[in-house]
Amino acid sequence: MLEAINLSKSYNDHQALADLNLSVKSGEVFCLLGANGAGKTTTINLFMGFIPATSGQAKINDLDVATQSGESKRYIAYIPENLMLYPNLTGLENLDYFCGLGGKRNSKEQLEELLTQSGLQESFIHKRVNSYSKGMRQKVGIALARARGAKALLLDEPTSGLDPKASNEFSGLLQEMKENGVATLMATHDLFRAKDTGTHIGIMREGELKHTVSANSVSLSELEELYLETMKLEKAILQ
Amino acid sequence: MIKKIALKEFKENLREGRFRVSVIIVLLLLIMAAWLSYDYYASVQQQHSAAKENARNIWVSQDDKNPHSAAHYGTYAFKPKYPLALIDPGVDKYSGISIFLEAHNRNESQYMAAADQTGLARFGDLTPDFILLFIIPLLIILVAYNSFTREKEQGTLQLLKSQGLSLWKLTLGKWGGIFLPVLIITTGLFVIATIFLSGLSDFGQLSYIALIIMFLVYLCYYAIIINISLVVSALTKQSGISLVILLAVWILICLAMPKASSNLADTIYPYPSRQAFATEVEKDKKAGLDGHNPWSQAAKDFERETLEEYGVDSLSQLPFNFDGYRMQKGEEHEAQVYFKHYTKLKETYKQQTKVYQASALLSPFLPARFLSMALARTDYGTHWDFADAAENYRLELQRALNTDFAENSSYGDWAYRADKKLWKDIPDFSYIPPTTAEVMQNNWSSFVLLFLWLFASFGGLKLTTHKI
Repeated sequence: MLEAINLSKSYNDHQALADLNLSVKSGEVFCLLGANGAGKTTTINLFMGFIPATSGQAKINDLDVATQSGESKRYIAYIPENLMLYPNLTGLENLDYFCGLGGKRNSKEQLEELLTQSGLQESFIHKRVNSYSKGMRQKVGIALARARGAKALLLDEPTSGLDPKASNEFSGLLQEMKENGVATLMATHDLFRAKDTGTHIGIMREGELKHTVSANSVSLSELEELYLETMKLEKAILQ
Repeated sequence: MIKKIALKEFKENLREGRFRVSVIIVLLLLIMAAWLSYDYYASVQQQHSAAKENARNIWVSQDDKNPHSAAHYGTYAFKPKYPLALIDPGVDKYSGISIFLEAHNRNESQYMAAADQTGLARFGDLTPDFILLFIIPLLIILVAYNSFTREKEQGTLQLLKSQGLSLWKLTLGKWGGIFLPVLIITTGLFVIATIFLSGLSDFGQLSYIALIIMFLVYLCYYAIIINISLVVSALTKQSGISLVILLAVWILICLAMPKASSNLADTIYPYPSRQAFATEVEKDKKAGLDGHNPWSQAAKDFERETLEEYGVDSLSQLPFNFDGYRMQKGEEHEAQVYFKHYTKLKETYKQQTKVYQASALLSPFLPARFLSMALARTDYGTHWDFADAAENYRLELQRALNTDFAENSSYGDWAYRADKKLWKDIPDFSYIPPTTAEVMQNNWSSFVLLFLWLFASFGGLKLTTHKI
């Protein structure tokens, strides 16, 4: 569903992403771990078509993001680190608006149900978003992904800044989507969450994907050790 | 999809206090401006009707008298007020409301309302056209300045882009969301104006076509302002910067350019001073036949030519009163002099108009302003037309009086008295302003400039869309 083929991005002399190759199939959750500036967000942005690739291809459902941008976006949903919605509209109105832009028509009842299923309290559905917490906005994002019937989900540090309860709820929702066959590519700093929700974990450093492991094949401590080892190497190189 | 975006923008705006307060202020100003305009015009119309009736009564009430005495006694031509002047009073306050019609002289219009005002009038009047031309564009800027910058600042732009939405459709949706409230306010104003004006018989027949065209001109003007605002909002990253740029644009196109073009036009193509103009006219008049001076060389030449033409030896043998005949010929000479000098003035006016039109390439305000005044029949073009009509009436009046004198008396009979019935037989002055078709024909270049702005600004918006 999601595929990067020799995907690279550079800004002048700086190589933000170098020859990335990865593939995320339906029902898989690929978590990208790495320090700030490792290239996680650049990868997500390249898949979203927000920035053009220097070389290589990003494909969604076999559609090249660069040349078939509009068509490829039909299959994806995107939740950034801090999902921003229109503060003067209610959660329901925001969901209705973004669904409409994506060409999806849902009844008011369907949208209300989607928001409830995504964990948003009923009492907040008709309240303006300016009264929402970050976790509540992320839930609207999940509801949007569901409403759109997205086959792939691109998440850029979605649990960053969420309290443990909200983070847990979010992971539960991701789990549900995974079971429904959604392919997910998630950039995160959270090793525990990556191990908990991911099927595959990639560790990035300086724009390169250094390791890819199956979440089932490593324990949390092994993952932590591998991660720290990779980071130490980075530190050593920098010194 | 465009409709969905437009309705969402409209809904968001309605929920913003800034928008609601701005709209309420604009509506209050519009109501106040409409009321003040109505009050002013009702008062002017009443005075106009009374003065017109009075002037006619004075003319027809003259006793038996020499027609040339009646010609010097004179009468007035009053410029009628038209319904759309309530929306755009144009230059009415500066162009005068009546012209005194007398023998030998083409007088300037007089009784300018501006002359009766205090120095505070320099601040301008609160009229509907002021709201339509200055305040609504400001409202548009206040609504549109952060159309794209807000999306960038609050981070919703990325989510929008992730929906696979065409940026041009997003732009058109935003355009519609801003245009919708402007359309509602403008339509409301014009519908109320139509209902209100159609019931005012005192203000003459309302031209619905002119009203509709004026409405469309304003909508075009607003569409251009929306386009400019969206272009700036798309190109800037911060709302504050966008607002500052747009306010500077508003000052430039609505305030600075009109004044600069006026000064430029006056510098390049200056009108002669009133004194210089009068001196030139007097000089040319003296060079020809003066109906009152039978001893001048021109009068003697004309006398000789007339005797030769009729094959008689003396003026008393002519089949008409030569004094009346000479008066008429003198009048015709003076009319030619006035025609020559007023044609020069008109040429200057046309040249100045060209400067304004060239300036309109830098300001969409100018073509909108000119078209609005022209359609309301309150522009200088209509004033010139009225002044020409008044002059033609004056010449016909003089011809009728001199002809009566020449045909009904004998040479040297200055004691001749025309029957007072003659005054009634001469019809009152009646002025028909240019039709809407004529107005459009006379102002085609302003229409072209306005459409040029409309298409160019839409083109600019389309190009800018890729940079959002």
